[in-house]
Amino acid sequence: MRLRARWIAIMVGVVLVAFGVVLAVQHRNEPSIPRLVQEHGPMPSFTVTTLAGAPLESSSLKGKTVVVNFFNSWCIPCQQEAPQLKAFYAEHKNEADFAMVGIVRDDETAAVRAYVDTQKLGWTIATDPNGSAALGFGTTGQPETYVIAPDGAAVCGSLGASSQADLDTWLAAARAGQECTS
Amino acid sequence: MHLVNRKWWPWIALVVVATVALVVVAVRSRPSHSPQARTTRLTHELACPVCEGQSVADSNAPESADIRADIPRRISAGQSDQQIRDYYVSRYGERILLTPTNSGVGLIAWLLPTVAILFALFGLFFALRRWSRVPRLAATPEDEAIVRRARATADEKLDG
Repeated sequence: MRLRARWIAIMVGVVLVAFGVVLAVQHRNEPSIPRLVQEHGPMPSFTVTTLAGAPLESSSLKGKTVVVNFFNSWCIPCQQEAPQLKAFYAEHKNEADFAMVGIVRDDETAAVRAYVDTQKLGWTIATDPNGSAALGFGTTGQPETYVIAPDGAAVCGSLGASSQADLDTWLAAARAGQECTS
Repeated sequence: MHLVNRKWWPWIALVVVATVALVVVAVRSRPSHSPQARTTRLTHELACPVCEGQSVADSNAPESADIRADIPRRISAGQSDQQIRDYYVSRYGERILLTPTNSGVGLIAWLLPTVAILFALFGLFFALRRWSRVPRLAATPEDEAIVRRARATADEKLDG
């Protein structure tokens, strides 16, 4: 009887330890790639408002290789990322199939205008008044970058700041119809 | 002559009160389907995507504010609660559901307590059965003699 009780206690202990390990592994395994990119999901449809006040429909970007960057003026990683984005944009802005959109998260339009002027950001910057773009992409902060292939699938991207080298690699992969592994 | 014997009156009263209580609980626990009630319910069912252990309703994160504003729009567009939940799961994964799903890993959260309770009930059942079989104190011959004498005295008194 005592032996059986000991076995039951051991089994219960093993199950609890296994459950704890599963929880710990899940908790530690924080992804650095956005969920939409992991699943190669389609670019969500959205309407944002450019700083010039014009609506920008996601449907107008169809057929292009699109870089979507979520950012704001007060986030330090966004500020650190800006020179990389500027260099990347300067490199590709004249390519016919290329489009780049910066979508503002959690910021005041006036502050964004001042930031864009100071940083001299040349690509389209838009606000997301009802958060539909951010929800559609499933963002969890800023900066976040998504590279959309011409067929509309989100193939590359990252949570956190991206470098010019990352962006070049992702753009080439998206154009070639390849998936990004990192 | 009474239609029902008086001794049954408390039982009838108990049945009436229990029935009324059950009806009231059943009616009041039926969820409201108003857009406001659905929004409130869904914001409490969804976890803030960027917080730890907070619902969308309780969180001040911009993502939660966006979801709070988005849910009424989806309700107005005619989406069901399940469609709205599915949409957010497609964006943020199952971790956005505060109530675990009844499939996959979420099944563990439902099954584990059920299995634990079943084990506990079985254990209690067998323990009670064993305890009821084994007397706590065995009667000694002296005890039996005392009982015999007491019974004999009682019998004498009854006969006498």
